[in-house]
Amino acid sequence: MIRRAASAAAVVVLLAATPTAAEAAADLQAIVDGAEPGAVIELEAGTYRGGVVIDKPLTLRPAGDGEVVVDGGGVGTVITVDAPDVTIEGLVVRASGDTLDREEAGIYVNEPRAKILDNRLEDVLFGIFLHQAPDSVVRGNTIGAKDLFIARRGDGLRLWESHRTLVADNVVDGGRDAVFWFCDELTIRGNRISNGRYGLHFMYSDAVVVEGNALIDNSVGSYLMYSKDLTLRRNLISGNNGPSGYGVGLKDMDGAELADNLIVGNRVGVFLDNSPQTVGVTQEFHGNLVAYNQIGILFLPSVRGNVFWANAFVDNSVQVGVQGGGRFSGNAWTHEGIGNHWSDYAGYDADGDGIGDVPYRLDDLYDALLDRNPEIMLFAETPAAKALDLAARAFPVIEPRPKVVDEAPLVRPPRLPDPPFDLGVEPGPALLVASTLMLAFAGAVVGSARRPWRSSR
Amino acid sequence: MTAATSPVAIPERAEGRTILVVARKELADALASRWFWMWVAAFAGLAATLALVALPGSRVAASASFSRTAASLVALVQVIVPLMGLTLGAQAIASQREHGALRFLLSHPVNRTEAFWGIYLGLAAALVTAVAAGFGAAGLVTAIRTGGTRTGAFLWIAVGAAILVLAMLGIGMLVSTFTRRTSSALGIAVFIWLGLVFLGDLGLMGTAVATRMPVSALFAVTVANPVEAFRLAALASFTRSLDVLGPAGTYAVNVLGDALVPVIVGVLGLWFVLPAAAAWARFRSPRQDL
Repeated sequence: MIRRAASAAAVVVLLAATPTAAEAAADLQAIVDGAEPGAVIELEAGTYRGGVVIDKPLTLRPAGDGEVVVDGGGVGTVITVDAPDVTIEGLVVRASGDTLDREEAGIYVNEPRAKILDNRLEDVLFGIFLHQAPDSVVRGNTIGAKDLFIARRGDGLRLWESHRTLVADNVVDGGRDAVFWFCDELTIRGNRISNGRYGLHFMYSDAVVVEGNALIDNSVGSYLMYSKDLTLRRNLISGNNGPSGYGVGLKDMDGAELADNLIVGNRVGVFLDNSPQTVGVTQEFHGNLVAYNQIGILFLPSVRGNVFWANAFVDNSVQVGVQGGGRFSGNAWTHEGIGNHWSDYAGYDADGDGIGDVPYRLDDLYDALLDRNPEIMLFAETPAAKALDLAARAFPVIEPRPKVVDEAPLVRPPRLPDPPFDLGVEPGPALLVASTLMLAFAGAVVGSARRPWRSSR
Repeated sequence: MTAATSPVAIPERAEGRTILVVARKELADALASRWFWMWVAAFAGLAATLALVALPGSRVAASASFSRTAASLVALVQVIVPLMGLTLGAQAIASQREHGALRFLLSHPVNRTEAFWGIYLGLAAALVTAVAAGFGAAGLVTAIRTGGTRTGAFLWIAVGAAILVLAMLGIGMLVSTFTRRTSSALGIAVFIWLGLVFLGDLGLMGTAVATRMPVSALFAVTVANPVEAFRLAALASFTRSLDVLGPAGTYAVNVLGDALVPVIVGVLGLWFVLPAAAAWARFRSPRQDL
């Protein structure tokens, strides 16, 4: 079998190498049609015409280092896979059509066990679309998008009923969503998804593991819905600041576990809507850094059954909010005697065991008002809002009911999780230079003004 | 007591060189005063401390924590910078009048326009120096601690703070031209400060909570306050969108679109120009006591 594949490949390389680039453009479909099932087709560098349908198991990859471009010319899907066990590796896939209801994609797979590896997709509506393609691998691809209004774009990644697929080390930038429908036991690892609408969007997908991904500057980092037993760990979820932006949103989830994530600088760090949905199911949140978000954790009022421990809540404008205010109970902030670190904890630790001796109570008046009147978010962080909290504390006429009571707050933050990969944030000298110049300016003014009359002539 | 009765013939046209001479004298006076150095020490000290307490450790947190440092810095500027500008401006003319320094100055071949803009420029230079010292200190600490990634945003906030302090100087000098004594000028200035920084926002929050004020009105009234205009302009530089300000922010983004930041900066610009111009008009008018 191996030998047959190799000889078929040799023949095909010859075929592909002979015609000029212009003729080759017409020929990828012919090359595929002429290949034996199981062939390894090594393509010479050049541009091939898209709209290719692969209807037998085979492998497509470049013959050498030259770029193999498959160009759809802005019409339809560029490569459609209608056979199982197809591998597409190292290609540049470009210019699909832009009709959303036809789901025009860079690579569209309809059969199981596909391997889509190390491709670059540019100017495509949908990027990689797996439709009933279980046990596939989507790894190392770079997926761009069409320059359209965000709701008109397609999804960089869409998986539909493709169970047990591995999605790893992809870079998705500027698409609409990366969305997973009815896919159980997925592994989503080491991807970087940025500047889209929903970084990760799960619907009805159970027992999924999401780890070591970076979800950056999307409208919503990850929105997880109607799924069970999801594990989200060691992800970096940052800068997801859309008008209803969440770092992580959980809606009607059961048994999600969030551990060791960095959830920083989002509009809302974690949003909980009816999760867990089943009475008696507990969801666990531990070891996360929830920092610099406008709202650290936002609950809908009836949410219960979540346990938080060993997290660090650092300098969120509002540490914990309850949308619409109201009663808030049935969630735990300590687990086996370990609470969370709160940057605004004002207690002490006399016995030095690392656990504060007085409970942490979250009862800011401004926060309480904000829960019921979201429009006063306009005044977040203003001296007036701080003054309000101070006044409420000094003269407790109106004492808001505490939203959170953590009986065992950690006085020091637990060890922060490491970022999943290097983001290339290099400190530059610009700020150093700029601030030195400002100080020099101040010094020069002070120096020059010392003897005004002598120097004014 | 008007210029016309003065025994010296005073040139009517304002001369740049005369303004500069008065400005240098005013700047030297400001730098010799303890008030000024107290402001510099307070502002630079607090700004550097704020930069120092930003979360250390994670490099990821460094870029996100910048917005946190910036937010704290903006809050600090909101409190200290208006007070600095208002009190210095309010003292400027009233105290010189009280001490007779103004009559002495105008007994030289200096007309009122030159005297006014000289005083304004001198104080402006002093205040901008204080702001530069504060931001310089905070920037230096941030750069050394976290490496500094958002220089543009940082400079934008510094420039905003400088415009804010000049706007406040204008308001302070306007107060100064209307009051006879330094103490009452200072009192009024502090009251204005209280109104702009605390009472205005608290009143708006209360109104919004009590009456379900429409977000459009809430945003309009808020942005009309120069201190708030500065804050919103600063926020626009280090958050990607004013959406973070909740419904009112989203409203503003949707309605004003790309014009949002120019509108906010325009409001700040009006506050920079109009009070100073009004103060000058008042100072020039024959009704102005010396």
